[in-house]
Amino acid sequence: MPFRLLLRNLFGHPLRAILTVGSVTIAVFLLCILIAVSRGLDATVAQASSTRLWVQSSVSLFVSLPNKYASKIEATPGVEDVVRFQWFGGVFQDPSNFFAQFAVDPAKWKVSYPEIELIEGSMEDWQKSRTNCVIGEDLASRFGWKVGDRVPLIGTIFPRLDGSNWEFDVAAIYRSNSLSIDQMTMFFDFQYLRESQEQGAVGGPDGVGVFLTRLAPGSAADDIIAAIETEYENGPQAVRVTTEAEFQRQFITMLGSVPTLLASIGGGVLFAIFFAVLNTMLMAARERTRDIGILKALGFGNGKIGGMLIIESLLICSTGGAVGVFLAKSAERPLWSVISSQIPGFEISSTVLTLGLSLAVGLGILAGIAPALRARNLQPVAALRLGA
Amino acid sequence: MSASITLRAVTKSYSRGGETLRVLDELDLDMEGGMFYALMGPSGSGKTTLLNLVGGLDHSDSGMIRVGDEDINELSASELAQWRAENVGFVFQGFNLLPVLSARENVELPLLLAPLSKAQRRQQAERALELVGLKDRMNHKPRELSGGQEQRVAIARAIASDPKVILADEPTGDLDRDTADAVLEMLQQLNRELGKTILMVTHDPQAASYASKTIHLDKGKLGRIEENLSIAGSKHHGKES
Repeated sequence: MPFRLLLRNLFGHPLRAILTVGSVTIAVFLLCILIAVSRGLDATVAQASSTRLWVQSSVSLFVSLPNKYASKIEATPGVEDVVRFQWFGGVFQDPSNFFAQFAVDPAKWKVSYPEIELIEGSMEDWQKSRTNCVIGEDLASRFGWKVGDRVPLIGTIFPRLDGSNWEFDVAAIYRSNSLSIDQMTMFFDFQYLRESQEQGAVGGPDGVGVFLTRLAPGSAADDIIAAIETEYENGPQAVRVTTEAEFQRQFITMLGSVPTLLASIGGGVLFAIFFAVLNTMLMAARERTRDIGILKALGFGNGKIGGMLIIESLLICSTGGAVGVFLAKSAERPLWSVISSQIPGFEISSTVLTLGLSLAVGLGILAGIAPALRARNLQPVAALRLGA
Repeated sequence: MSASITLRAVTKSYSRGGETLRVLDELDLDMEGGMFYALMGPSGSGKTTLLNLVGGLDHSDSGMIRVGDEDINELSASELAQWRAENVGFVFQGFNLLPVLSARENVELPLLLAPLSKAQRRQQAERALELVGLKDRMNHKPRELSGGQEQRVAIARAIASDPKVILADEPTGDLDRDTADAVLEMLQQLNRELGKTILMVTHDPQAASYASKTIHLDKGKLGRIEENLSIAGSKHHGKES
């Protein structure tokens, strides 16, 4: 194998080599991110609890249910606890600082989530004051908040009628041991919201967004789902009950066709890069038609010449792939801080990196085969004549 | 080492613009081993086609081509490649050196196919370059050499693997007279001192005069074979550019 010839050819056009490596780098980087997003969404759903059900309006997740449903649902055989969950939708300084906030029943919430531990502060601290809240470790880290800090939020769904901000005091910080629960959320006492509405200080819908229902160990989820749905079949508000996994899936579906769109774009990018690399390799091989003719005349077989072209393509794509996965891994932390509230399972794992690199290697082999086949089909005389 | 060349009823046709053009027509030809042949004839007479067939760069439509003991029409593409590597050295009109490699690396190329160590390859390439008087230029790239020097590197490459046959297609076509004479003397020397069978295609009667015999082709058929009674050579020692 004239390896030196291969290297000289590779570096004979440095700009072309750099641009091709660059395009593969970008493709592999994007693919790693997209694969990580997709796997993160799957992991989020996969780790959802099987002992928690979500009760929501059958019309839409955005339609509230009557508050009084809580006691009836709790009375259903097999149900141990019901936690009220209300999406708050507040804004911290600017909409770009988005993070989720939920009004919940604190004590029941903690019992229903054994995967959550408070790493600073305690439940007692939280329940000392209505304005207290618990925030995730990543949320605290993102804004530099610590226990004792006051967080002002602008109410959007529940605006304060005097135009002032809501104020919450950080009483505890939680950490999640499950990928289905992010660490970018704020939880505060449902009563704080309800009492503020009852005092006429706050606008917005009354009722409850969803009821989180914790099942007793060994109870059959399907039976309980059927029982609750049947109970409210004829109103006043029909409900839809789903497992937590299904509920998580709904959120993913709420992203609409975004994941599909991202996957399509990723596939399209890879496809486009494949043709770009293929075109480059074909051009490089065409430029070397005379060289191929010379090598053939000297007695180099099709295998050696084809191998040289494939290895050249492989080197270009592998280099691009290696740089791409390195960049993807480097971008993991900054990206995670942005999307972990939606996709807590987002991770540029070794599997993702291996996949990205494998795709680059596969791309290199495929893009090398076409010029290798062309070289194989060239008769030495024709190659020398065409290249003259 | 030399090899005789025998052609029997060799026919080769090309299709161009829907028409079939018979370039070689039932050609019979015998060439002795260790001789220097010039192959002459008008354009389109089949000289280069004959050279390509003898060198295994192309396949005849029919007939037999024997080089030494090998009937090369019977060889598969990969066997033919191997056979070329071991038995034939080519010298082309346009030199056909790889521009990204140095003179020594170009000469080493055919040796990559031989079972030689890196040191042996290097030594053999340097010896070949020394033989053509270019050892001091062995690290130069082709673009840093004159036309005559490039052709001498091509000759060094052709002889590096010690082939039985050297096939030269208009080797002096791109060279001035003095340089051409120097190259022809070199081919003559390879024939005389190393016993290589040389077949050289040329349009130039003066170039042909360096060969021992001149074969004339006309419209794909063998014309006459002339013995050169006054072989050119030793009197030419012009300096090349």
